[in-house]
Amino acid sequence: MLAFLRKNQVALSACFCLLLSIYILIAAARGQLKNEPLGALLMWIMRPLQTVSQGAVNWIADFGENYDTLTGFRAENERLRRRIQNLEVERQKLLEAEATNRQLKQLLDFRSHLPAGAVTASIIANSAASWFQSCQIDKGSSDGVRKGMAVVTPLGVVGQVVAVTPRAAKVLLLTDPNSGIDVLVQRTRSRGIVSGSLENGTVLKYMKRSEDVQEGDRLITSGMDGVFPKGLMVGAVIKVRKQHLGLFQFVEVLPAVQTARTENVLVVAADGGAAKN
Amino acid sequence: MRLFLLFFVASIIVLLLQTTLLHLMPTNPVVPDLTLVLCVYLGLYHPSVGAALGAFMLGYSVDVVSSRIIGINAFAMSLVFLTVYLSSRAIWLQNPLVTALVVLFASLIKGAALVLVSAFFVSIEGFWIGAGWYIIREALLAALLAPLVFALLRRGEGFVNRFRTAAQ
Repeated sequence: MLAFLRKNQVALSACFCLLLSIYILIAAARGQLKNEPLGALLMWIMRPLQTVSQGAVNWIADFGENYDTLTGFRAENERLRRRIQNLEVERQKLLEAEATNRQLKQLLDFRSHLPAGAVTASIIANSAASWFQSCQIDKGSSDGVRKGMAVVTPLGVVGQVVAVTPRAAKVLLLTDPNSGIDVLVQRTRSRGIVSGSLENGTVLKYMKRSEDVQEGDRLITSGMDGVFPKGLMVGAVIKVRKQHLGLFQFVEVLPAVQTARTENVLVVAADGGAAKN
Repeated sequence: MRLFLLFFVASIIVLLLQTTLLHLMPTNPVVPDLTLVLCVYLGLYHPSVGAALGAFMLGYSVDVVSSRIIGINAFAMSLVFLTVYLSSRAIWLQNPLVTALVVLFASLIKGAALVLVSAFFVSIEGFWIGAGWYIIREALLAALLAPLVFALLRRGEGFVNRFRTAAQ
């Protein structure tokens, strides 16, 4: 027996890990997995590294957008090339400060229209897996963030907090197949659920064939799911197709918020639950 | 102990890359699955109890930072490790092309495992067709980068071994 165990210890360990992961899956699916010390430890290790790394990513993305301007200046004025390069470096810093200032001012103005207790946060990391549309923010339970809170920007809905540690939180984006946001078509007040889809992008589900939905219609939160305050922009309808069979029509949605270009967000409870910032 | 530290640091770096820098790639939102490549490396070159637990923890870490359901990637990574370990004795590993092929198939196995688990625990319309396209693209990206990652890990191991020899 011992010889068998020793000979197959690797395979048996891997089988044990398989069974353990199934157990964790079942517990998580039943909602029994509330406190994860390992998860909190990992987030504690990763948070500062991700903050620095995401800062570098944002700098690279901004530099790429200004690249054409730089080459244009160089070609146009060869004699003052060195002077212009120095000015561009300074200008880049000022533009970045101005953009950050504008974003934060927008957030502050927007925050005044939301229930009290909104928390400002920055996105520090994206999903590690392609199938799951999520991101991490740099605020957690010690800042008043709780599971189930809505994450928004002045442009619209970003997603919902699904896991919280003391210093960070995981946000399930609106574009994830597991998400579901109760919305109204602003023009006709028809109700539906906006969710992500691996195949078709973001879609509006359970829209009956008899409902009037057109391309260009704006979708706003209904406020009836108890998560998102009412009236927040979710997206716009870009395609409507009524299939020959079925109760519902196919509606594709363009989300209002492009998370790839979003840096700062607001975390808010629909009922204005207490939070500190 | 030093090898454990090497792979621990490699895991942190890989996770960091997957959640930040690799999203700059034009293939976004499909990101190369470097955690899978690391898991395959452990299964091929370091088949041990510690490596099995390491593969599980790699998947669990991905779940913590990304997944809606904890345990889904832990299951997939454990399955990949077991499959790679069981088949490693029959694979000739000196050729980078073979390495890439092993990672490609491991990625397909992982994708299939994720779809299977999702079928039991998640009910999402139209999941299967979209998932298939993601699986193929992820598998190809991971296979392309696998020889480079393997070479870097081997270099890291060589450095650790030289350091250990010098210390002795």
